[in-house]
Amino acid sequence: MSENAMIDVRTLSKTYRVHKRAPGLGAALRSVLRRKYEVVKAVEELSFQIADGERVGFLGPNGAGKTTTLKVLAGLLHPTSGSVRVGSYVPHERDPRFLQLITLVMGQKQQLLWDLPPSETYAMNRAIYDIPRAQADETVRTLVELLEIGDLVNKPTRQLSLGERMKCELVAALLHRPRVLFLDEPTIGLDVSMQAKMRDFIRDYNERFGAAVLLTSHYMDDVVALCPRVVVIDHGRLIYDGDLRELARRVRPDKRMTLRLSRPVDRADLEKLGTVVSADAAQAVLSVPHARLSTVVQGALSALPIVDLTIEEAPLEEVMRELFGAREKEARQVSRAHG
Amino acid sequence: MTATAANEIRPRRAGPAALLRRYAGLFRVQLAMSALTAMQYRADFVVKGLIAILWMGVTLVPVLVVFGVRKSVAGWSFPESLVVVAWFTLLRAVLEGAVSPSLTAVVEHVRHGTLDFVLLKPADAQFLVSTAKIEPWHLVDVVGALALFAYAFGKIGRWPSLLNLGTGVAFLGLAIIILYSIWILVVSASFWVIKVDNLSYLFGSLFDAARWPITVFRGALRVVFTFVFPIALLTTYPAMALLGRLDLKTALAALGGGLAFAAIARRVWRRALALYTSASS
Ligand SMILES: Nc1ncnc2c1ncn2[C@@H]1O[C@H](COP(=O)(O)OP(=O)(O)O)[C@@H](O)[C@H]1O
Ligand SMILES: [Mg+2]
Repeated sequence: MSENAMIDVRTLSKTYRVHKRAPGLGAALRSVLRRKYEVVKAVEELSFQIADGERVGFLGPNGAGKTTTLKVLAGLLHPTSGSVRVGSYVPHERDPRFLQLITLVMGQKQQLLWDLPPSETYAMNRAIYDIPRAQADETVRTLVELLEIGDLVNKPTRQLSLGERMKCELVAALLHRPRVLFLDEPTIGLDVSMQAKMRDFIRDYNERFGAAVLLTSHYMDDVVALCPRVVVIDHGRLIYDGDLRELARRVRPDKRMTLRLSRPVDRADLEKLGTVVSADAAQAVLSVPHARLSTVVQGALSALPIVDLTIEEAPLEEVMRELFGAREKEARQVSRAHG
Repeated sequence: MTATAANEIRPRRAGPAALLRRYAGLFRVQLAMSALTAMQYRADFVVKGLIAILWMGVTLVPVLVVFGVRKSVAGWSFPESLVVVAWFTLLRAVLEGAVSPSLTAVVEHVRHGTLDFVLLKPADAQFLVSTAKIEPWHLVDVVGALALFAYAFGKIGRWPSLLNLGTGVAFLGLAIIILYSIWILVVSASFWVIKVDNLSYLFGSLFDAARWPITVFRGALRVVFTFVFPIALLTTYPAMALLGRLDLKTALAALGGGLAFAAIARRVWRRALALYTSASS
């Protein structure tokens, strides 16, 4: 797979040199003469490949190095070491054909011209990307329809809501029909229904154009809905690359069992079955080890007044919290051992 | 839209003519965007036009005051100095109308991190940022400058020859290139020190000096204004060209100097971009 991968990242490291300056005028003056730098390791020895048409979630806590990696992939930053390839291009060379191939959407920033309607930004991007008019018109029509934004593209951007703006932003970013999508928190700040629409849209685009998608999001629902595979990093290092459900199973081997009850039961009876997450008169939620699941289900059905029973994986939010929480604890212990 | 059509690599139309056509097209689109934006603020248009006229008056005041008490200054008569002022007004119109708005926007881009969007585009980044914003009401200044030229030459009683006029226009182009290059240097500096306000203030103050003929300045200032911040090239030489007082050697040297200046600015810009993408660290 690595030979014909669309995205190929090999032992990528990226460090930032941050100009360090102590507070105070004296220190400021001294720092002009002798600059002190501090090195921030944003990404360390990161490797992964993504195939054409694949949708991959890129996860990690704040400051893990996700945005940095995406910027390197989009050619905005030079790698400090290691190599990166997208299609047949080295991103930081910023070959125009490479730039035609990709797009980078940043949920926190926008390219739409503030005072003009989004349609004008589209006209400009059409000229910049050198897209034949008929093709650009058709792309806009299709995307506008998919996103259900109709007349919005003719209203000045400053009059649009955040969600509307983000949708219009997507059209601007996809006008040239890129084959590789780097999406950095594209749903940030959107309400739940808008998030769901964006997800549908991203999947639709991916299926229609066979585009590879690398997506970061704070909303695990986005990832669950869109990405069969996830790449997880922490402190710039890879900690998991593979199937999303497998990750959930590995981090949280327990299943989540919800029982709806016809009458209240003793807590002690519930505790015999598994760890009680919550319980009231009508409903109980238990956490049950995967291996004991069938025994527990049988026991519950025979011993308790059950109306309904559902079994789910632990929510991804919890999986993530547990994953990174555990690593934090580990790190603290290590540093204590060394200190 | 067919799935296979997604991003077929468009064959690049090679050759300088095609390139020129492409960028001319891009320039047209950018102009259209600026005009549309200006139209959104039609009231602004009128107000800013009026302010432009006011400023033109203000520009004249120091010259009127000085020549109220003296017949000539450093070898320049009153109408001759008006030619310099007219140049100054014309250049300021180009600077404030077509150069600084775009380049001020770059500084904002750097500050907000939206320069990334420019760098993601398959077109020359310097071109894109330099043509992003134009403020058309400065046309008022252009008209004012032309009126001033007419008045000054009327007073002198001798109109510039075709050759003088041609040299003058060539110098206008040169002056614009130099101003633009200086601005590019200022903007490049913003990649190192994000707070560029002071720099653009300094730029504004230095540019103000260009309303005087270069011979007014002595010693170190004269050297600075000729070679470091070449206001001599901006207004004095063009005015001399129009007045038929510039010899060919100086003209050619000035032209060469201006172009070299532009080349240096481009190099510095590229260095600054490399720094932005941390290619240099
Ligand atoms: N321009 C920069 N200069 C210095 N440090 C930076 C810069 N951008 C990011 N960092 C640092 O690099 C690390 C990774 O940041 P980032 O890639 O933005 O993480 P994420 O997107 O996963 O939240 C953080 O420690 C952050 O503070
Ligand atoms: Mg980020």
